[in-house]
Amino acid sequence: MLVRELRMMFARPLYLFASVGVMLLSTFFFLTLMKGGAAEKMPMAVVDQDQTTISRRLIHEMQATPSVDIQLITNSYSEARDAMQKGKIYGIFVIREGFYRDLVSFKRPQIDFYVTNAYTVGGNTAYKQMLTMANLVSGAFQREVLRKKGMTDDVIMHRIQPIAIEGHMVANPWGNYSIYLVSTILPGILGLVCIMLTIFAIGFELKARTSHAWLRAAGGNYTIAMIGKLIPYTLIYLILGVGCHLILYRFVGFPVYGSTWRLMFGLLLFILAMEALGITMIGLLPTLRDALSIGALYSMLGFSLSGFTYPQMAMLPPVKALSYMEPLRHYYLIYVNEALMAAPVENSIPYMLALTLFMVASLCVAPRLHRALVYWNYPLK
Amino acid sequence: MSEYKYKIVKSFVSELQRIFRDPGVMVIFIVATLAYPLIYKALYWNEQICDVPVAVVDLSNSPESRTFLHRWNASPDIRLTYSCTSMAEAEQLLREQKVHGIIYFPHDFARQLADPLGKAHISLYCDMSSFLYMKAIYLSCNQVMLESMRNIQIDRYEQMGMDKEFAWALVQDAPYTETALFTPTGGYGSFLIPAVLVLILHQTLLFGICMLGGTAREENEESYSFSSLIGRAGACFLIYYGLAAILLGFFPRLFDIPHIGSIGDILLLIAPYLLAVIFFSLCVSVFIRNRESGLVLLISTSLIFLFMAGISWPKEMIPSAWRYLSYFIPYTWGAHAFIHINSMGATLAQTSMEYTALWILAGGYMLLACGLFYLRKSALFRTSRPLPE
Repeated sequence: MLVRELRMMFARPLYLFASVGVMLLSTFFFLTLMKGGAAEKMPMAVVDQDQTTISRRLIHEMQATPSVDIQLITNSYSEARDAMQKGKIYGIFVIREGFYRDLVSFKRPQIDFYVTNAYTVGGNTAYKQMLTMANLVSGAFQREVLRKKGMTDDVIMHRIQPIAIEGHMVANPWGNYSIYLVSTILPGILGLVCIMLTIFAIGFELKARTSHAWLRAAGGNYTIAMIGKLIPYTLIYLILGVGCHLILYRFVGFPVYGSTWRLMFGLLLFILAMEALGITMIGLLPTLRDALSIGALYSMLGFSLSGFTYPQMAMLPPVKALSYMEPLRHYYLIYVNEALMAAPVENSIPYMLALTLFMVASLCVAPRLHRALVYWNYPLK
Repeated sequence: MSEYKYKIVKSFVSELQRIFRDPGVMVIFIVATLAYPLIYKALYWNEQICDVPVAVVDLSNSPESRTFLHRWNASPDIRLTYSCTSMAEAEQLLREQKVHGIIYFPHDFARQLADPLGKAHISLYCDMSSFLYMKAIYLSCNQVMLESMRNIQIDRYEQMGMDKEFAWALVQDAPYTETALFTPTGGYGSFLIPAVLVLILHQTLLFGICMLGGTAREENEESYSFSSLIGRAGACFLIYYGLAAILLGFFPRLFDIPHIGSIGDILLLIAPYLLAVIFFSLCVSVFIRNRESGLVLLISTSLIFLFMAGISWPKEMIPSAWRYLSYFIPYTWGAHAFIHINSMGATLAQTSMEYTALWILAGGYMLLACGLFYLRKSALFRTSRPLPE
């Protein structure tokens, strides 16, 4: 039984390519993709119509900050807008003509800034920096006036900024985008591999009409046939899963504030749940191609439904309900609990149980899948 | 020549027949292409995340802190749901994900504000499991802080004996306006859905063409002549031109996704994009042996192409090796060009770099497909030569 399976597995390069190859490539890709994990040097433009010492000093100060990079200084707004529409910059800071003159005569000149939100991360980074600058301008001028009134800098500072906010980014003090992105995307891709290959391995027996030989090798017992077939693949997935875990949390050093064992256990449950979901799909649709298409469409949605970019609380109720049907959602919540929040084990248990439910569900299709394996009562393609 | 034309037309018609007779390809080409945008629109229906639950730890328990909280609670972004007596209690709520942020006022908050030389501190703790939480909590709190700060500054200047008018002008010396251009709601859906629409076209074509190629190979109906290449590409182009017009032209208008670009420019952009994707997919399909293996092998490219293009993660932050590689993927150019035209109202002339790149890719991949088809044909010829009697 196992020998037959291993021979089939190595006879087709697809199995190893689609599991080990895909995971190696994805891991390498996502770990090298985000240098540093925080957006820096976002290109932006300054429209300087004032062209005085103060506007130039402002530009100089802005250029010195790490988050933005002023790539265009012009006096025409339309030129800056054109650059933005060409995708070259994410923000425009406008200093109008007469800014300095109005500032010193207390006429309250206005600063305008524009950001694109067609590109979220770039736009946000530029926005934050421009907001800080606009507030700094105000502070710098107050400082000048107060200095002339003979105050010391120390006293001035407290007047200019009577309240300060200290921001704390819980569990990710670096604001590192890649930590939570990669921690969900890589397991998600592994889940894709599991579901697709499980469907393929079982469905191909149906398609090639070899399922009788398969059942014969297992002595006609459906359970033994299933277990025998899935053991070698499961081993590969588990090795990939553990490897992925070690790379992310040991080698790269992404933080795990809670229990790394429970996190790994969650990952293993997730892998088994995705395999079980694959069995359910091929059991419901015992035609290889249909099951694969549906499996692909279903599990791709998991990336959005898991809520690691767009949180679940913002989703519409029916969509929220759908999100519970995605194993990746439950894994993501275990990840948040274990790696980021260091929550007590009770918090993760519901999600671990939910993942187990996917395995139980796959037992329900057993009679139907067994019949399909024996009678070939479904079309070939 | 006319015989050649006939051959092209023949393979064009037979490819169309194969597509429409194959329910698997139809599911990917038509059903997935039309259903996915609807699903994504439903998924990202609420543009903003609002009412993020926040816990309050107010040790100062003063009118000043209460005013601050009152103002903050009025903002749509957050909702103050729990009032805790200690940090430990609030941390517990955060751990249980009942709140996604904590605001902490120290004992001396009011005293520092009352002291003309004092500086009051507020601590803000944000759940980092999604960046949207941090954005909602941090920016709205900052807004309230700046407002409150102005009032305090004016008070303090007045205490110093400044004229109220003057103090007010000094505090508001350079007011600013901020304008989010292009997408008024600034939501996640408005930003992501246009990129996803372009990706759906790219990936369904890739999977569908690989499935068609794999099927033909399984059924020994492969044909690798130049006329069949053109005929096959033509059939996909015909079907997809309509689909792309619906997805990129009408879908944003129907479903309230940003659409300030000219529809004529979008229709012009679709042509090179589809040609580039079709010839790219035909090149890949040469290596696919079974009808299903394309989907199994290539499904994860959807994520890789999306990230490599530099849409959700800025393109400036992508290491140059990946960036150069991304230039060979039609999606990279197609997505940026579509976002520039559709979401930012650029003209086709402003998008000329992406537009030209797409034509170059279309031409390049057509030549490459010709070469691969030729190699495949000669390999096939060698293996299928009948044995001598």
